[in-house]
Amino acid sequence: MILINGNLAVVKGAIKSGCGFFGGYPITPASSIMEEIAKDGIKLMQMEDEIASINCAIGASLSGKKAMTATSGPGFSLMQEAVGYAHMIEQPLVIVNVQRVGPATGMPTKPSQGDIMQAKYGSHGDYCPLVFYPNSVSELYEYAIKSFNCAEEAEMPVVLLSDAYLANLYETVNLDIDIGIVNRKLEPVGNGARHYTGLSHQRNSPKPQNPRQYKSFIDRIFKKTYVIAKKHADYEYTGKKDSDTLIVAYGCVSRFLSGLKKKYAFFRPIRMWPFLKKELGKIAKNYKKVVVVEMNNGQYRREVERVIRKRLYFFRVLGGEINIPKISRGIRRIKCKATSLYSK
Amino acid sequence: MQGYLSLLKIKRLPTTWCPGCGNGLVIKALIQVMESNNLNKKNTVIVSGIGCVGRTTGYLKLDSIHTLHGRAIPVAEGIKTANPKLNVFVVSGDGDLLAIGGNHLLHASRRKTNIKVICVNNRIYGMTGGQASPATPKKTVTTTTPKGNEFEEINTQAIVTSNKNFFARSTVFHLDHLKKMIKKSLENKDFSFIEVISNCYPGYGKKLGFTSNYEMLMDFKKKFENQKNKSILKKNELGFLK
Ligand SMILES: Cc1ncc(C[n+]2csc(CCOP(=O)(O)OP(=O)(O)O)c2C)c(N)n1
Ligand code: SF4
Ligand SMILES: [Mg+2]
Repeated sequence: MILINGNLAVVKGAIKSGCGFFGGYPITPASSIMEEIAKDGIKLMQMEDEIASINCAIGASLSGKKAMTATSGPGFSLMQEAVGYAHMIEQPLVIVNVQRVGPATGMPTKPSQGDIMQAKYGSHGDYCPLVFYPNSVSELYEYAIKSFNCAEEAEMPVVLLSDAYLANLYETVNLDIDIGIVNRKLEPVGNGARHYTGLSHQRNSPKPQNPRQYKSFIDRIFKKTYVIAKKHADYEYTGKKDSDTLIVAYGCVSRFLSGLKKKYAFFRPIRMWPFLKKELGKIAKNYKKVVVVEMNNGQYRREVERVIRKRLYFFRVLGGEINIPKISRGIRRIKCKATSLYSK
Repeated sequence: MQGYLSLLKIKRLPTTWCPGCGNGLVIKALIQVMESNNLNKKNTVIVSGIGCVGRTTGYLKLDSIHTLHGRAIPVAEGIKTANPKLNVFVVSGDGDLLAIGGNHLLHASRRKTNIKVICVNNRIYGMTGGQASPATPKKTVTTTTPKGNEFEEINTQAIVTSNKNFFARSTVFHLDHLKKMIKKSLENKDFSFIEVISNCYPGYGKKLGFTSNYEMLMDFKKKFENQKNKSILKKNELGFLK
């Protein structure tokens, strides 16, 4: 057991996974990941910006290394074009986004969950990202490893979400967990005549004018991601399960609200995308009231609403600060008639 | 005379390029150098960005990476850093490397990563139909500068040589010279940049009064001369600085 914070846990997980390359650019609250990498001896390239960071990580992955980059919202925004590129060329990569309050420079030191939709839809065009969002330091360690594993299994980039709270939270972690490591199967570049292109393509040839080819590509990447996602339909269902209220919360917010577990049932998604439709749908059926609490203006809420198809209660937490008594009072006062969908 | 079929994906021909475009000549020079220097799919990777020149990578029998617009250099640096044994070439356009990818060029030359960057400079955004690029000379009429470009062209030579990197200039007309410059860059063990002046008749030459790609090549023959002083490389000179 060691006492470490969330960012260091991500680094420990990367080391355990055999990560061999890190490309990055400093940004609060993710910087300490790069600093820890620098101490460890994993090949580090500190680049001129986040665009270069993700692109050199893609290059290193092509060269056969398990590669990673870590950033926060502003940097994640800059990376988006390359996120789509990595999906298009089907190259394994782990992208860590330690969320802070946005948009723009926002509130750099405050936690947020404002990039939930960006993690899914941030790049242009259709693609199917695998996204995990743990809620403890141990889990960050575990899911850093799982992210590398899934990236290798799916041959796709994987996003690991964290936040400014978890990044700086110190907890004890057992590094000797029993978890297999998926090794690289792809042959590194420098040994063939393969062509990697962001153009729609078929095997080694660009096919930018062929709709049928494009459709089959999209179907294939969605399908292969779902196959891997299914193995990791990870969530936590806890609390007072026989209450009439189910609270849906994830990441740091699920930690802040843990005191309410005595009174209400809790659903905490860990695999954020693809959305846990079946899993949540089945559980939510048993509750009269479903409440979503998240640190944004209602991003995950909309997805939940689509699945449960009944009135949903939503508490937003904005500006990086949470007033737990107020939320708890709010939940207590919910009448089934439904009050305003938005909290003040 | 050497052929250059060994490394060409013949099944992928014809190329997407206009007849007479300089890009084909760059492929020819590059393959001939690779053949004579024993560079092949076992030891060499080629990376490009987006643009007409960017399509080069798809025609070569090498592991080839056609990256996003402007991102060839960071991807190439990642490849090279993760596997220093590989020979890594970047072949891309003036818009790709000097505009959208300009920041990467600045920093790759500071880091002195051992990659060979071949910038095919047709002084225009060819693929998107002839808009001004950072390498478009002042006063030139393009689709986005109908009254003539108001800015000076970028001084790539100064950027690259400020870190004492290898910088060479050649043209697609002077193929033997171009090959010599590529070979020379291979002797150099850090960041190397070769500017190859090229022709784009539809996007650039037409508005300047040329009537064909051929005429533009003849113009290179007339305008460029060999470097006179080893420590100076003028704009109209063919040669290198190290
Ligand atoms: C992010 C992004 N912006 C713009 C474009 C559109 N675009 C494609 S090629 C190109 C210009 C290429 O010019 P250059 O690098 O000089 O190559 P050339 O076509 O002249 O060979 C542009 C602007 C793009 N593909 N991606
Ligand atoms: S548009 Fe210009 S650069 Fe592009 S293929 Fe035609 S001649 Fe070559
Ligand atoms: Mg050009």
